[in-house]
Amino acid sequence: MNRKIAIAGYRMKAASDLVTTRERLTFELTRGLFDDLGIDRDHVGTTIFATNDFLDGRTISNVFLDPPAGVYMRDESKVEMDGLSALVYACMRILSGQYETALLVAFGLCGSQVSPYLHVEYTLNPTYDRQLGLLNELSAAGLQARSFLNKFGYSEDLLDEIAARNLRNAALNRDQARGIKDASAKDIKDSSYLYEPLRELHTYPATDGGCAVLLASETKAKELTDKPVWILGMGQSIESYYLGERNLYESRSTREASGRAYAMAGIDKPEAEVDFAEVSSLFAQQEPILTEALGLYGPGDAEKAYAGDNGIAGSLPVNPSGGPLGAHPICATGLFRLNEAIKQLRGEAGKNQVKKAEIGVVHGQDGVCAQQNTVVVLGI
Amino acid sequence: MEAPAENFFTPVVPLDFVYNYRVGPYIERYLRGFKDKKILGSKCPGCGKVVVPARMYCGPCNRRMEELVEVSQEGSLENYTIGHVILEKGAIKPAKGPYMLGLINLDGTDSLLLGRVEGVSVAAAKPGLRVKAVWKEELDGDFKDLDHFEPV
Ligand SMILES: [Zn+2]
Repeated sequence: MNRKIAIAGYRMKAASDLVTTRERLTFELTRGLFDDLGIDRDHVGTTIFATNDFLDGRTISNVFLDPPAGVYMRDESKVEMDGLSALVYACMRILSGQYETALLVAFGLCGSQVSPYLHVEYTLNPTYDRQLGLLNELSAAGLQARSFLNKFGYSEDLLDEIAARNLRNAALNRDQARGIKDASAKDIKDSSYLYEPLRELHTYPATDGGCAVLLASETKAKELTDKPVWILGMGQSIESYYLGERNLYESRSTREASGRAYAMAGIDKPEAEVDFAEVSSLFAQQEPILTEALGLYGPGDAEKAYAGDNGIAGSLPVNPSGGPLGAHPICATGLFRLNEAIKQLRGEAGKNQVKKAEIGVVHGQDGVCAQQNTVVVLGI
Repeated sequence: MEAPAENFFTPVVPLDFVYNYRVGPYIERYLRGFKDKKILGSKCPGCGKVVVPARMYCGPCNRRMEELVEVSQEGSLENYTIGHVILEKGAIKPAKGPYMLGLINLDGTDSLLLGRVEGVSVAAAKPGLRVKAVWKEELDGDFKDLDHFEPV
């Protein structure tokens, strides 16, 4: 990159019901972040929202968000996708040389205000899948889980282990909406099947949540904070919408995106050079699928990894925060992964803190079964 | 989602719209094929792959698929899930009973077709199981004409 870009600060908030309005949440997040950094809206060069009109129930929903975000007589734009896509866009705006700072605001209120599954029903191909009524976010995830277990000969127990680990980690983390202290694989197996082998507790919880993140050029970042976290690399890739034309047990587009991000960051051997990962695994099976695609664990290594290597105290931790099984505020989830990585890199992750945190990789996704993926490499 | 009882006014936002969605000639012909109990796929002149249901463009080749071909009504079950719930306007509701959804590779095609599967126990549901299409008795030229798949 021709300029270095850092994350200067963030605010985040999640619960099953925040009992709030979109505007109040936006104000609390952005005004809170400005206060943390000792700045006001004049320090913000450009603002980018990551929100979804369908979830907001109004078209071009960002027009209502400008006043609480302090955008007045300035430029503002929106990415109707996961917040990590908005981050890539924000970086481009800073790289253009036109701006020294960029504010990201992302939220989804699917805990209290609209069903998270409805949005995916309306993502489906309207002339075929929607007419047939068989495919939805959960049946697709059930097929993906079955494909993954069959490919590597795993039993359903592995999904229980993954979910239990994440919900235990999430219970230690105050920024999560759901956690289960001391969750065991049996607790997970006691939850009902949705689409076999997928059970209720293998899936993300309906979540209210949002975050604000301030990006800054090198000079500006050093003025704003003594703990900047640098963006070392970024990559994005998309694959076919049609599940019948993809191998659901792998994520080729994540592999492609991570290749680009690692190349930009100068990382040749991610399994040795990356210290931890925060990935947007919305369903238990996606965590090993994504970490394999990120080059952190080999295909078929999942059972060994979940025996300890990828735990908080392990050699290469994955989702030490508890991941999206603890909170999935649609549109903000990728930035939640980013913020969790910032906490790790700054040594501020408390009980979720991993031993070594100098390079972290974060991942965000959109579409059915992670059709589009964004990978960002961070360092201190 | 129900409107919650809160200490502030929470209106229900109506989103009631109808789209007249033009499906394009391939899906039209795909559905017309159903009236004759035929399953049509489209073939890419670049990679030679055949996909079902027929669609017009190949992503990897960035080419228009010119040819519609009739494909086999038999194939192999490659993947499946047992549904215990249904989703109705975003709400999870219990299903009347467990049901199987399968991804089926029809012979001679390079894609998987999603469909209901009947007469297969979970123990018997292994990748490669041979299945065939079962049609509804009265055909309407509708997606639901192809009712389900069952073992050959
Ligand atoms: Zn082709």
